[in-house]
Formats: sequence, C-alpha cells, structure tokens
Amino acid sequence: MNPTNPEKKAYRSMRSPRARAIRVAERVGLYAAVILVLVVVLIPYLWMVSGSFKTSLEIQSADITDPNLAPRWIPRTFTLDNYRNVNRTVRIMDYFRNSMIISVGTMVLCLALSILAGYALARFEFKGKGPYVLSLLVTQMFPGILFLIPYFILFVYINKWTGIQLKNTYQGLILTYSSFALPFSILMLRSFFANIPREIDEQAQIDGCTPVGALFRVIIPIARPGIAAVGIYAFIMSWNEILFASLLTGRATKTVAVGILEYITNQEARWAGMMAACIIVTIPVLVLFTLIQRHIVEGLVSGSVKG
Amino acid sequence: MEQRGGEELEAQVRSRASAAVGRASRALAWRRTLPYLLIAPALLGTIFVHVIPIVWGVFISFRNLDIYTIANWRAAPFVGLANYLEALDLSDPDGVLFLRSVANVLYYGVVTITIGYVIGLAVALLLNQRFYGRTIVRGLVLLPYIMPDSVAYSVWRFIFQARVGIVNSFLMSLGLIKEPLVWLVGTRTMFSVMVASIWKGWPFASLLLLAGLQSVPRELLECASIDGANWWQRFRYVTWPHILPVTKTLLLLNILWNFNAYNQFKVMLGDDPGIYAEVPSTFVVRQAFDNLRYGMGAAMSVVLVLMMTVVAIIYLRTLKPGTSVED
Repeated sequence: MNPTNPEKKAYRSMRSPRARAIRVAERVGLYAAVILVLVVVLIPYLWMVSGSFKTSLEIQSADITDPNLAPRWIPRTFTLDNYRNVNRTVRIMDYFRNSMIISVGTMVLCLALSILAGYALARFEFKGKGPYVLSLLVTQMFPGILFLIPYFILFVYINKWTGIQLKNTYQGLILTYSSFALPFSILMLRSFFANIPREIDEQAQIDGCTPVGALFRVIIPIARPGIAAVGIYAFIMSWNEILFASLLTGRATKTVAVGILEYITNQEARWAGMMAACIIVTIPVLVLFTLIQRHIVEGLVSGSVKG
Repeated sequence: MEQRGGEELEAQVRSRASAAVGRASRALAWRRTLPYLLIAPALLGTIFVHVIPIVWGVFISFRNLDIYTIANWRAAPFVGLANYLEALDLSDPDGVLFLRSVANVLYYGVVTITIGYVIGLAVALLLNQRFYGRTIVRGLVLLPYIMPDSVAYSVWRFIFQARVGIVNSFLMSLGLIKEPLVWLVGTRTMFSVMVASIWKGWPFASLLLLAGLQSVPRELLECASIDGANWWQRFRYVTWPHILPVTKTLLLLNILWNFNAYNQFKVMLGDDPGIYAEVPSTFVVRQAFDNLRYGMGAAMSVVLVLMMTVVAIIYLRTLKPGTSVED
C-alpha cells in the first residue's frame, strides 16, 4: 500500500520480537514528542482562556507562596463579567472599530496598488523590471524603526505646509500600512497571475479587450482566491502592527494592538479584563488566517525556498 | 468619373491604412508605457513611505533637531557628526547605553535564533514522520506564529508575573525556588523576553524547514539506508543539503528581524526596559519621542542601518543564500 515508506519494508523483513519492541518504543516516543510540542504550543492560549473567565479578585489575590491561593488552571469561580465589562475600563471596542477601519482600508488600498503592479510584472516586459523586483525584496526586509523618526517628521511637515493632517487619522495609517504590505503582496500576486495561462487573456484581447480590460474582466475573476489571500495578509499585518501605531495614532484612531496594553497601568493591573480583550483581538486573526493558511504558507515557502 | 472614383477610393484606402498604422503604433506605444503606469501608484507609495524618509533621515541626523525646530529642520543647528560621536562615545551615558543596547540585541539575537532554529528543525523532523492526526498537528503548531504580537507578549507578561504567574508557581511546585523570582524587572528581563520570543518564533522556522524536508526525494533516503547509512549519516549527507537553502534564507530573515526587535520588549517590559534588556529600537524610540532628540534618534537609526548592511553583505558574500543543491 505504501511503496514510499522505506521503514515499513525494512521492518517487515526482520520480524523478530526485538524489532517489534523497538518499533513500539519508537511509536510511543513519537507520540510523546508530538504531545509535548502541542502542550508547549497551547499553554499560553489555555492560560489566556482560563484567565479571561476568572474574577479579578481571584487573579489579584493569587499568591504562589500560599497553596490555598496558588494560581489555578480551572477558575475557582467561573465568570463572564470580563467579557461583559471589557469596554468599561479601556475603550477596547472603540479601538476594535478603529482597527477594523484601518485594516479594511489597508486591505483595499494595498490590493488596488498591488493588483496593478502585479499585473505589470506578470504580463509585461519593460526596462527596469529587474531592479524594481529587487527593490521590492529590499524594502520587504527593511524594518520600520530605521525610518520611523523622519517619517514622523514628514507628517509634521505635510501638516504645516499643506494643512493635511496625517497623524492620528485613518488615512495616514492606511497609507503607511499599505506600503508596508506592498512588496509581499505584489510578489505574491505576480506569481498568482503568472500561473494563469497567457492564452486566456490574449484571447480576450483578440476579442477586443484592452490590456486593462483583460485584467479586470479575465485575470481578476480567475485569480480571486489568490487576491483574497493577499488581502487577508494585508489585513492581519495592519491589525498586528505596534511600533507605528503607538506613535501615529491618538485618542480617535488607536488600534487594538496598542490599546490592549492600557489594561496594565502603574496603578492597576487588570489581567482578567486584559485576557478577555486578548481573546477578542485574536479571534479575527485566527479565523482569517485559517481561511488563507494554505496560500500564505505556499507563498512564504515558495518565496524562501526559491531564494 | 471612373478615374475619379478610383482616385477617391485610393485616397480612402490610404487614409484608412495610415489610420490603422497610427492605431497600431499608438497601441504599441501604449503597451510600452502601460506597465509603468501600472506600477506607478505602488512605486509612489513606496517612495513616500520608505525612500524619502530614509534619505531625509540622513540629513536630519546631522542636525540638532528638537521639538522647537521639528516643523522647520533648516532652523535646527547643524552639528555635523556630533550626534554620531555622542552615540558611539563610551564616556557619555547615552553612548554607553546605545552600545550596551547593541550588545544586548546581539546576545538576544544569537540565543533566540539558534534555539528557535534547533527547535524548529526538531519539530519539522517530527512532523515529517507519519502519525495519526498529522495534518491537524501541522496546523496547530502554527498557533504561536498566528497570535498577534501584542496579545502573545501580553499573555507571556502575565505568565512571568512574580506573584500571580505560572512560571513561579511551576518552579515552586517542583521545589526549585522558595521565594518568588522577579522576572520582568532587573537581571532576568532578557531571559523572559527570550523565552517568549522563542515560543513565538520557532513555528515559522518549522514551517519553512518542513517544506524543505518534503523536497527530499524518498528514494534517496531509501538508497542511503539500504547502503547502510545510519540516522545521522542520512541526515547529514541526504537531508541537510536539501534544507540548507531554506536555512540560509531563514537565518538572513531572522538576523534582519531580530536586530530590530521592538514589540516583545515594548509589550513585556514597557517603554523603558532597563539596562539588561535595552535594545536599539526601544532606545531610539525613547531618545526621539520621550527625550525629543529627533536628530540623535535619526543618527542612531543611520548607525543601525550601516551595521545591518554590513552584516547582510558579509552574510550574502560568505553563505550565498539562494544557491541550492541543484546549482
């Protein structure tokens, strides 16, 4: 049945009790290792879930030196108050809305820009194509901290000379995050588009489509799954970003990634509320990532395996 | 009449032909310019967000730019290399802290990258075996990678709390400690951040390495074991050459990302992580936005760019990532 499994053949050829014992031990070891990995992966998730159902009192009064008060995995009193009151001390639902607006905006703008650029790279030969692709790879590796300060000052300047406010606005962050997500999005879309047979859109052009018409009438409908994957990637990226969000947002535009830190202040540590908020913040990412896992993983893998 | 009609016809044909030629040449010109128009919006975005700030940052780094001159950088006094000299001056407290932060991040990077890679490889080898529920487990191990940074490091901050955290609780139950240890202040800060970062980072390594492992032809491994190669020999001479290209890319990405690590330090330790866990990113952000010394912050950023470029060039020269077993 399994011609590709060399171990099985080898074992079948030496069916002694000793070989069988080794085989059983190997299986047991394998499953033990898998369980160990899963435990390590899940501990923070489980601790987060458990904390979100505990009362604040239980967490605050926990004391590892006293066996009666030691922190427990199962809440002593199970409560949903942390979810009901999640918005009371920190305006996390406002931040959630801000994050939604910024992330969806990023998704749309990034897709608009990267579909056009991806189409150009997949279907046209032009001077400077090679250097442009190289520049995409370089910008992708450039960490934000290296241009954060001049970028911040640029916002101050634009406001002074044109009156356009970009700091503490949705459009400022949408523009910023879109260009962060651009290199990966363009390269991904290029490969999605390149996988569509050229004959299909050439036929459309013979039938009277312009090259741009062929993009909108033929290529985009065919590449819809890939486009969705790239859009979700841009969404998740802007949902999770911390550094620029902490400096370029204010009261009106703060995102969840930064807002979640407000549960801990110098006066008070509201761990229970924070854990509930953490779950609320994680769920959209978890759902979206599950939808596109295959595409993103393929993209990452092909991007790095090919070098 | 006939003659005339013929002339008219000829003129008509001519004008049509020339119109067609015009259309064709216009279409050709359009095909030539179109790709530039298509990449223009994306290119403008990149220039605005990346290129202008990076170039401008160099100009700012030569000025003593502060909160009063932020909206008019030409009014800021030109100080030449003074910001750079201060950032690298061991007799100046800021210089000491900056160099210390660079040393800290090197230490952090070497430890997290090495351990993350080893764990990632071990788990990738494990997930490459056949066992029941393998598909589900392959999905589940990505959970740390998926968790948003601010959430993951907030949860780890909770886990490392001295009095209410489970790390101390676990160590206490094993009898290893009698008094709760303080993890998030002082000398143990770096260790705590490293543990959290490794937890968050290894699945990415595992993901890429697993793809590398799947590219190893089974027949090769089979041949090797028939020829009597043991487990280590099969790994070293058959598997390793196939995962070497992934390893190189992974290392380069990890070096670039970790050299500028910010999120884990900010979320777990706050704006001022203290001398044991100060890293360049946190220090640059504080210099610029708390101490309002934008010029100084820009100079430090430029130093970091130069350091990273040097590291990347040395790396690319010596290891040549991207070259695989087939080349």
